[in-house]
Amino acid sequence: MSLLNVGKKFFIFCILASSISYHISANKALEIAILNDQNNNGFIDSSSDMTMNLINRKGDVVSRKLRFKRLEVPEDGDKSIAVFESPRDVKGVAILSYAHKVQSDDQWLYLPALKRVKRIASKNKSGPFLGSEFSFEDFSFQEVEKYEYKLIGEEDYLNLKCFVIERTPLDPYSGYTKQLVWIDKENYLIQKIHLFDRKSFHLKTQKFEEYKLYEGFFWQPQKIEMINHQNGKSSILLFENVKLNSGFTDRDFTQNSLKRSR
Amino acid sequence: MSYKYLGVFIAFLCPALIGEIIGEYSLDNRYFFNSGMQGQERNHSSFTLSPEIFLEEENSILHFKPKLRKDNEDNERNLVDIQELYLINLLEDKEIKYGISKEFWGVTETTHRVDIINQTDTAESFDGEDKLGQPMVKVSFEENWGLLDFYALLGFRERTYPGNDGRLRQPMIIDTDNPQYLSSAKNKRVDFAFRWSNYFDQLEIAISHFSGTSREPRFVVSNQNLKEIIPLYEVIDQTGFEFQYLLGSLAIKSEIISRSGQRDRFTAATYGFEYTQVGILSSRLDLGWILEANHDDRLPSSPAVIGSRLTFNDISDTQILTGIIYDERSEEIGILLEASRRLGVCCSLSIEGFYFDDTNEDNEEFKLFQSYKEDDFLRFEFIYYIGD
Repeated sequence: MSLLNVGKKFFIFCILASSISYHISANKALEIAILNDQNNNGFIDSSSDMTMNLINRKGDVVSRKLRFKRLEVPEDGDKSIAVFESPRDVKGVAILSYAHKVQSDDQWLYLPALKRVKRIASKNKSGPFLGSEFSFEDFSFQEVEKYEYKLIGEEDYLNLKCFVIERTPLDPYSGYTKQLVWIDKENYLIQKIHLFDRKSFHLKTQKFEEYKLYEGFFWQPQKIEMINHQNGKSSILLFENVKLNSGFTDRDFTQNSLKRSR
Repeated sequence: MSYKYLGVFIAFLCPALIGEIIGEYSLDNRYFFNSGMQGQERNHSSFTLSPEIFLEEENSILHFKPKLRKDNEDNERNLVDIQELYLINLLEDKEIKYGISKEFWGVTETTHRVDIINQTDTAESFDGEDKLGQPMVKVSFEENWGLLDFYALLGFRERTYPGNDGRLRQPMIIDTDNPQYLSSAKNKRVDFAFRWSNYFDQLEIAISHFSGTSREPRFVVSNQNLKEIIPLYEVIDQTGFEFQYLLGSLAIKSEIISRSGQRDRFTAATYGFEYTQVGILSSRLDLGWILEANHDDRLPSSPAVIGSRLTFNDISDTQILTGIIYDERSEEIGILLEASRRLGVCCSLSIEGFYFDDTNEDNEEFKLFQSYKEDDFLRFEFIYYIGD
């Protein structure tokens, strides 16, 4: 066996080993993502009232209120309706979304002053939601299939032992190039996400706080904070009156129901 | 009309009795740079009251929204209207709406070809976006095969026009007190309409048909006074088609109608694009573009519109809209600029400017904006939103 051959074989072995270890880290990461997703499965339907506090650099706070309804769709993404309660000039404006696992979501916007339902391009997802630091994308459901995963390590965060996963959005219209996600090892809940913009700059940090367990299986954070490192502003989303299994049907998530929702 | 008074009565009685009250009060001031062609005043102001009440129970909804408008110059711009007073019943497989309501049909942004359920309140604004409430019974089905609405439209509302002292009016005096109808039932005729719409992935389509009194009148010269014209409301059949296809951030849109009953059958269409750039120049601003062209068999030419919408995505929802209307044949141009933002939690302010220009007065083609020549204006609107 010539030295050259040994070298070649070693080289091939190295490639194989690294690709296997890559697959192991990807598989492990995917497994963690699936375990995390299961915390949010089987709820059938949910509803909640949301308050969104927008905080500027000086610390001034402005509030927005929304009502939110969601229906689980087996084998596909969820259906949801978000209705704006305040500020008063947008009261009754509502968004109907049909999320999909791989293909882009279907979205309709209802403008009560014009009585018009308008199909909107869900591709414009990187823009700010209601003037907040959350984008439309941050508001949509995190279906497992929408990312590619890689386990990059383990780290303690707020006394919780966490996996740190890098996930890459598969949607070319995503506003992010990658996200670092901290998922705790005990309940597989997302604790924090670092969001990297198209220039791979660490633009925002999203923190999930005060998780509460509903019906013994459904974990819901009571507070989600989004900090924008570029402009120094932040937005805090507070959840109230979280209810599961209210008996919603497909009929509560149609264009007609959007017009009735005000 | 007696129901007008009933409406006013309910408007001021109901809030004390029931439900959630929202709505708006607005003050509107239009300043025209020149006196009108018929000597009208330069400053026109009006205020509008439009409270709304909702009452909701399991499987039924009541919505009431009167609208009262008072103008300081133009009596024809005064309005007492019930925009909404309906009850919705949700049944097993359908939804039924009884009462007065507004219904929008269409996909395009600048001209609404297929939208025909409600009468247009052109006295309020010449852009045709403001509508009057229409009495109806609507039955709506929504299944996998789409959304299907059937309408019985009970009675007819006449179109409003600016009066003799109003601006953005036609040179002839429109005698709105003596409209003519082709139907012997006059304004009591029951009209029918349906619309089916559905979406297939990124494609959205709708087909509609309306059979009844035309919302848009033709005009005949008055026998008594040659300076006056009379609106003639004929019975028409109008079939409409709507199309929208989303291609990433680009929406391709089209609305086409074919109408018979007003002399020869004719076709009219609006088609174009809407494109949105999110986060322009790495900022949080969005910039949307609208380009729409028109065709109307009845006109020698129809103007095209290019518009843009700059959205600041700030806490005040600041927006700047610009639009240019251009008619190639008559070489006329109209320029619109509109800026709006929220003030605090209760209010909003918008400033709008409109400028008309005939770029070639030697051009002897039919001029679309001939009668608006002296009507360049700036408009300030302050809105207070009712609520808690």
